[in-house]
Amino acid sequence: MNNSVVVTIPSHPKYLSVVRDITAGIGKVNGLADSIIGDIKLAVDEACSNVMKHAYKGETDKKILLKYKVTKRSFKLTIEDKGTKVNMENMKGRDLEDIKPGGLGIHFIKRVFDVFELDEKKKSGNRLILIKYLKEK
Amino acid sequence: MEINLVDYKGRKVIAVTGDIDMYSSPELREALMSFTQKKIPSIAVDFNKVSYIDSSGIATFVEGLKIMKTYGGRLQFFGIPKGIMEIFRFSKLDKVFEIYGSIEEAEGN
Repeated sequence: MNNSVVVTIPSHPKYLSVVRDITAGIGKVNGLADSIIGDIKLAVDEACSNVMKHAYKGETDKKILLKYKVTKRSFKLTIEDKGTKVNMENMKGRDLEDIKPGGLGIHFIKRVFDVFELDEKKKSGNRLILIKYLKEK
Repeated sequence: MEINLVDYKGRKVIAVTGDIDMYSSPELREALMSFTQKKIPSIAVDFNKVSYIDSSGIATFVEGLKIMKTYGGRLQFFGIPKGIMEIFRFSKLDKVFEIYGSIEEAEGN
């Protein structure tokens, strides 16, 4: 099993539902459990929302490139944009005990993905690398 | 997402259908704030037909709750599907929001 899918979406929030459907579909055809698909779908939505808010600062006519690769061992996704550079220091999320609006998205991403890192080699824009390791059946 | 504002025995109910995400949550916020601006003392949210919620949807409810607390109001949720309940638990918000199984149960508290 070695399946790759590449998708480009506009940076408009109305396309988040499209990203969720694609993500869920990729999970489904690769035999992932519904509970894992639900968690991955939420995490990918949050990661794309962050690109729209922080890298593109609400500009809705930019592009977000998603590259999925599923193997027996892992579900890997890279999310690329050409927006403002973000850094890991700003991607910590709020303390879960500190109840206030916002700051949960990063926790939803880290909750499901084992690897959550920015590709420092990318010169302009951002490349977020997300990997979830799968238990072999 | 679709929002219906319903009166149940004099109580304001926000019945939400579909996905609550960064695209749809501003509409939810508008509905919630239309009640909080009038300092409605008790607002219930019907989650029975909510299929999805992300952090922007949750942030909207946290904001609404904080405003309601300033005037002693109560924000109650009922009918939360299992998958969404897990998100509330993970976020430790199941202890923050008043969560009930049904509107009758919410009404009795």
